[in-house]
Amino acid sequence: MANESNNQSAQPGLVARGLASIGAPVLEVHRTVKDIFRVLWLTFYYILHGKKGERRRNEIFAQMNEIGNRSLVFIAVTLGFLGMILIFQAGYQANKITGDLQLLGALFLQLLLREFAPTITAMMIATRVGTGMAAQIGSMVVTEQVDALRMSGAQPIDYLVVPRFIASTVMMVVLTIFAVLVSYIAGALTAYSFFGLNLRTFFDLSMIGWFDINIGLVKAVAYGMAVPVTACQAGLSVVGGSEGVGQATTQAVVNASLAVVILDFIISGLGYVVLAFL
Amino acid sequence: MLNPVRYIGENFLRWCHDIGGLVMMMGKVFINFAPWKLDKPQIWRNMYRVGVKSFPIVVVTALLTGAIMVIQSGLYIEQYGAHGLLGWGAGYSVLREVGPIMIGLMFSGRVGANNTAELGTMKVTEQVDALRALAIDPISYLVMPRVIAMIVMMFLLVIVGDFTALLGGAVTSQVLLGVDMKLFAWSIVTYIELGDFTHGLWKAVAFGYAIAIISCHFGMNTSGGAVGVGRAVNASVVGSAIAIFVLDYFITFMVL
Repeated sequence: MANESNNQSAQPGLVARGLASIGAPVLEVHRTVKDIFRVLWLTFYYILHGKKGERRRNEIFAQMNEIGNRSLVFIAVTLGFLGMILIFQAGYQANKITGDLQLLGALFLQLLLREFAPTITAMMIATRVGTGMAAQIGSMVVTEQVDALRMSGAQPIDYLVVPRFIASTVMMVVLTIFAVLVSYIAGALTAYSFFGLNLRTFFDLSMIGWFDINIGLVKAVAYGMAVPVTACQAGLSVVGGSEGVGQATTQAVVNASLAVVILDFIISGLGYVVLAFL
Repeated sequence: MLNPVRYIGENFLRWCHDIGGLVMMMGKVFINFAPWKLDKPQIWRNMYRVGVKSFPIVVVTALLTGAIMVIQSGLYIEQYGAHGLLGWGAGYSVLREVGPIMIGLMFSGRVGANNTAELGTMKVTEQVDALRALAIDPISYLVMPRVIAMIVMMFLLVIVGDFTALLGGAVTSQVLLGVDMKLFAWSIVTYIELGDFTHGLWKAVAFGYAIAIISCHFGMNTSGGAVGVGRAVNASVVGSAIAIFVLDYFITFMVL
């Protein structure tokens, strides 16, 4: 008996190991979240106090091209298919239950503005742009270019994160509007070709109000801020050479997508509370 | 500025290269299925890494997705006062569309990207060539276990995710909307058919297969060092996202 307890104290017991296996991920998550908020805070700080001028403007425009223009086809394909899927499902159900497709377009536009256009666009940007940012910054960390920046007196966050942050916030709003248009038109064509719904009936703006537009834009801005911060944090915290870069890109997609889903939940919940009390 | 003709041509050739590579990868995977020479320990190891490790993220995503769907349908439910339809409204969209898509996107981010990064790093550090030099077929040793693990685990994760999403929806309906959980559950049991659930599972298998093929193709065709690995991961997640939406459309179209 005594011998056994001695043995157990020499090695961590089942309880200790269980606690460790819970605690280690919790600590990891805590560290990452703290670091993300540090990067976010520093980004805001350097937007106000960082080096302004020609160079930053050019960098912002280059990033806007990278984030916005080069994502157009990707967003058009994915969101176009999303519009087709949603209208196909909704129209099929409506046909089966009531046979009344009058409100299909109006409800679809409302749901698109509130939920699908901002969120899915942001998840697509998180995968396309987030991996790019993490890989780029990560390989700069690994090849010690970030240290070189620090040596020459430029703050990495000011130099690398701020232009991406501003460009992403602006372009996310633009892309969300583009996504609404693409998705709505794809949905309209689906409704026309599968259910013979008149396009005039489909383009019905009666259901949407300022609330829907505002909540869509708030979501777009929030995601536009969250994606570059999480992706750049993943890039900046790379350790361990080229393998670390690969892990950082994975980390960037996961963190950015999770941030989008969590923000979506928070903003939708707040929006519902606001709407319920209005 | 780049010559537009050259730009279009370059893009066209790159697309051809990628589509051809994907078809080749499908063919190789199909051939390797045939004589049934599967490396069982590798498959178990990959299943653990693919499935168990992405369990937390899938659970978190699914909980929040279910909650969001309830909030979104709650707005309509409140308008018409049809509390009994809340479970149907949220459950139908989660089981059929939103659940598989969200879990698929998370899966491609977590597992697909990781897989491409891993295979890409092995490729650029010439470990794949080393395997070939040892007369070990990289497809049967590296790719096959991953493909099988991803298909099986995507299927299982969507089952887990569906139930977690419904749980998250039930909790949200109780806490935020004040609709009783029992009513929510009753609504699901009454109105949701088994077909809605299996519809999502068909999608899970298709997405798992697509993510596996795409991530393995881009991983095995990585070139250009550490920067190339980043580029391959980017191409892999972009391709997976497009594949998820396109496949989703065609499966919805065919199964309905």
